[in-house]
Amino acid sequence: MRRTALAVLATLGLLACGGPDPEPGLSLALNWKPEPEFGGLFEAERIGAFAARGLSVERTGGPGAPVVQMVTARQVSFGIASADEVVLARDRGSDIVAIFATYQTCPQGLMTHAARGLASLDALFAAGGTLAVEPGLPYVKFLEQRYGFGALQVVPYSYSIGPFLNDPLLTQQVFVTAEPIAARRAQADPQVFLVADSGYNPYTAVVITHGETLRSDTARVARFVAALREGWQGYLADPGPANALMGPLNPEMDAEAFRLAAAAQQPLIEAAGGAVGSMSAERWAELARQLKELGLVKQAQPADTYFTNPTSE
Amino acid sequence: MLRRALAQSAPPLVTFAAAVVLAELVIRALDVSPLILPRPSAVFAAATSEAGPLLSALGATARAVLAGLLLSSTLGVAAAVALASSPWLKRAFYPYAIFFQIVPIVAIAPLLVIWFGYGPRAVVAAAAVVSVFPVIANTLAGLLSVDPALADLFRLHGASRFATLWKLRLPWALPYLLTGLRIAAGLAVIGAIVGEFVGGGGLGVVVLGAMRQQRTDLVFAAIGYASLLGLALFGAVGLASRLALRHWHASETNR
Repeated sequence: MRRTALAVLATLGLLACGGPDPEPGLSLALNWKPEPEFGGLFEAERIGAFAARGLSVERTGGPGAPVVQMVTARQVSFGIASADEVVLARDRGSDIVAIFATYQTCPQGLMTHAARGLASLDALFAAGGTLAVEPGLPYVKFLEQRYGFGALQVVPYSYSIGPFLNDPLLTQQVFVTAEPIAARRAQADPQVFLVADSGYNPYTAVVITHGETLRSDTARVARFVAALREGWQGYLADPGPANALMGPLNPEMDAEAFRLAAAAQQPLIEAAGGAVGSMSAERWAELARQLKELGLVKQAQPADTYFTNPTSE
Repeated sequence: MLRRALAQSAPPLVTFAAAVVLAELVIRALDVSPLILPRPSAVFAAATSEAGPLLSALGATARAVLAGLLLSSTLGVAAAVALASSPWLKRAFYPYAIFFQIVPIVAIAPLLVIWFGYGPRAVVAAAAVVSVFPVIANTLAGLLSVDPALADLFRLHGASRFATLWKLRLPWALPYLLTGLRIAAGLAVIGAIVGEFVGGGGLGVVVLGAMRQQRTDLVFAAIGYASLLGLALFGAVGLASRLALRHWHASETNR
């Protein structure tokens, strides 16, 4: 009798709370192996920022994971993508929305050999040689339109700096926190130009979610972003502990590579005005306009459909 | 003649049409996002509106596939003849031929680029590497399965090793080789496209670019063009085996 009463009370209690069962866990799909790009996430886990807000976040995905598709299909709550992927996906009918931007300055760059003595992107494109880039990247299309690839032989990039080390006239795409560090440690003398200096600067390592999740689970999304921001503030202050956590999960990168990458990305993450991770409508509108001009999207949507800066409390 | 052609082509075409219509209806009914699975109608639209670039990419891929197949069939037959010539050679080297069957082409394709440079040569090499094993294995099986009575007959008449190879073993192995080529043709298309992922050019780059731009319709359209290439090669090998075998081999005379 007492048991039944308790069960009834418990049920009523749950109903009163508004949830039929304990909240299901959240999941976040990464698009690469654990590395400083995700430092804030691991720091947030380490200091219990998610748990303190009643959240449990399971990491999934990895290199090659179709993150945009996974979030579009709501197989995961959150994913890591870049801002141009968000604009392209929304143009293709997906309802994904950006909620946090890790890199305020796009960390994509072009790396060539310093011995060539090229002073600018203009000089680089005029100098010729080989350009290794992933086919179809929006920023490559932007660079082609802006500078012209007439003097260059364009070949695919397949995530190996072997060809770069082999060819003194090769230029390749890089994440400024990854390949240049590897090249320097392989005794090369790389020179790196930020793509952002060309005028194309999408937010990168953006956390995305589905529009439906954002509308139905607004409070939890806001708590997630607050926890992630706390993690990033901690990581920017001291990347050491989170790096130690990520190291064993990414054995190809040693502790020194983690340290160098964390230092290299610091200025790209620290926001000029607002809080870490927050985004502005002007930047999204500019990106959508650029992608429209490149013919990659049919139309630019209103900037505030692409992103939101969730605020808690 | 026309009736026969119709009887041959009607069943697969009906299957195709039915599958397309069904897929269109199901995708519409379930309202699947085009990012996850594009509708067949969108794929056809991409295949026609982008026909120019797709056809020129198809041409580049087809040239690499043909060159790769030429290389793998020549080297494969030569290797099989060598392996069949001595049990010792076969024991010593055949296990390593299997390497070509299991080699993860995605993993070694970047190396092919470093060895052969960017462009068609690396792509041809990738196509040849993945398509050589079925040629070796099938030709070898043919060379070694010669009717012992016929081999005795050649020996009784004092035929030279070369004459036995040229007039008995190779003709005997021909149907096997052609079966090997049918398998090799499809593999060569895959090998070339993976080679293009890293070496550049052709349908491989179209697929990569379309994936990067989340144009799943274009990805599937490119796959469609690649399938046409595979079908054409399969048909060409079939035609070759009909012409070569129709007068004497049961596989073609029994049709």
